[in-house]
Amino acid sequence: MAKDYSVIRTRGLTMRFGGVTAVDHVDFELRDGELRCLLGPNGAGKSTFFKCLTGQLDPTEGTVEFAGRRIEGMNTHEIVNLGIGIKTQVPNLFDGLTAYENVRLAARRRHLARMAGEQAERMLERCGVSALAAREVGLLSHGQRQLVELAMVLAAEPSLVLLDEPAAGMTGEERDRLARLVREIAETASVIVVEHDMQFIREIARKVTVFHRGAVFAEAPVNEIMADPRVQEIYLGKSADVAA
Amino acid sequence: MEKSLYKDPGFWAMIALGLVATFGLPVWYGLFEIMQITQYVVLGVFALSLAYIWGFGGILSFGQSAFFGLGGYVFAVAAINMGDTTVPLILSFAIPALFGAGLGYFMFYGRLSDVYLGVVTLVVTLIFWKLINHTAGPEYAIGAARLGGFNGIPSIPILNVPGDADADLMPGAMFQVFMVILMVVYVGLRLINASDFGRVSVSIRENETRASLLGYDVRRHKVVVFALGSGIAGLAGAMWATYQTFIDPNAFSLEMSAKALIWVMAGGVGTLAGPLVAVIALQWLSLKLGEINLINNFVILGTILILLVLVLPKGLLPSLQMWIERLVTMMRRQRDGEQVMRVRPDPALAPRRDDRGASPTPAE
Repeated sequence: MAKDYSVIRTRGLTMRFGGVTAVDHVDFELRDGELRCLLGPNGAGKSTFFKCLTGQLDPTEGTVEFAGRRIEGMNTHEIVNLGIGIKTQVPNLFDGLTAYENVRLAARRRHLARMAGEQAERMLERCGVSALAAREVGLLSHGQRQLVELAMVLAAEPSLVLLDEPAAGMTGEERDRLARLVREIAETASVIVVEHDMQFIREIARKVTVFHRGAVFAEAPVNEIMADPRVQEIYLGKSADVAA
Repeated sequence: MEKSLYKDPGFWAMIALGLVATFGLPVWYGLFEIMQITQYVVLGVFALSLAYIWGFGGILSFGQSAFFGLGGYVFAVAAINMGDTTVPLILSFAIPALFGAGLGYFMFYGRLSDVYLGVVTLVVTLIFWKLINHTAGPEYAIGAARLGGFNGIPSIPILNVPGDADADLMPGAMFQVFMVILMVVYVGLRLINASDFGRVSVSIRENETRASLLGYDVRRHKVVVFALGSGIAGLAGAMWATYQTFIDPNAFSLEMSAKALIWVMAGGVGTLAGPLVAVIALQWLSLKLGEINLINNFVILGTILILLVLVLPKGLLPSLQMWIERLVTMMRRQRDGEQVMRVRPDPALAPRRDDRGASPTPAE
């Protein structure tokens, strides 16, 4: 259940690449324990927004507060060590290592050596990929890699989980398992999910923020957003009349 | 599930091989051969320095000879001034390691990309080479040691028994001490690679972004790896200086850096034993080609290296491992196939479906 204080908050967050403004004065706030979906067409600035939150990009303007502390300009590893975990859009794994070794490396940041191994096994089990523990992740399918990366994120026990298109490339069964898992994660952590799969969003989200051209276009409960003709227009690239 | 170093037969085989070589070779071979093999040992330590930072830290240095030469000169200057060679040997590790840490700090904290990192290390080597070449005058002396410019520093003390500057080691004993150093460096690096620190190094080599997204300070980690590799290269430089009792600016040459790259590439990036094999094989080949003197041995060596890269892009040792694994798998399959054939019952004698409807498989 979301609490009445913000876990992450941005004010006027802007990221420019030369003449292109990828994130444009975004004011965003996530309450502690909340699960929020970010929606928007390709190039709307969602992934860039995530990169600004995790220090992979230094924002051109604006502020980012995590648990009441300013984090813009900090290094990625410092931000992550404060309790933010991110699953990136393209699975970011150590391809030459096994799934177990990948997750253990993540767990080792929080746990002693022996405990890290146990934590890694627990997280692989939780994400339904314990059978792949001894496989090199470079040889896994896209969907399996997504789940291994999610296990890595969870192994570090973050208080804020950022998931960038976690359902991409998954089979129906994997997607259902993921939806259950995301709801479970949201019971103990705050979660932001970037996703295009409407069905998936309906299954997990309560509130949705729509990005368009780098800015927040709309923010409302999921059903209102789905019914909003303006959102359909920008998202589907056609007029509300046609969409209706 | 994790591979334990102590359960790795290759690790124990290397130690056994090292011990046999340390105590056996001085008995089996004469002075000339031992001197020749000592050279391989020194260059083996140098090859390990690059094999570690490149293969396990993902840092491709084009200027490893900068640290090799620095270690050699530090040893030469310190040994000439001190007499005893024990402290100079330690300094020849410590000073290049500190210099490597400083250089690494600017390169990694300055977020240099791999290409620029290669350029910077190359340029640092050239600066050292140029600088030392211009120290021929008598004013360029540190205590009793004249740097000597392009003439180098002659009469560098031979390694002595610690604490007794007059007790110089004989060639056989020096070979054994160098073998011990090589084994300590090899075992030390294997232990580091098997530790959590080593696993993080490999993870950074594999995917720097993910490593930082897990909360690891990639830049600090790389500085430590680079400094350790620099220290080992410096130690090899000191071994080179005392082995030859002479060092000159060629220790900083591009040829030395290129040789280290070739040994690691030919032996296999990501292994420690491979580059050692490559040092012995290529140095021996180079020596033999020089003796035959048919055509320029650089042409033959170059051709061999091109063929190696084309035929064995992963290097000697990884390719050998791959072939052995394939052979073992093939033999296992063949053996399993024969066993299945042996136990497969005659269809005419196969048991009928039992009352519960279960149908036993032929293998049962």
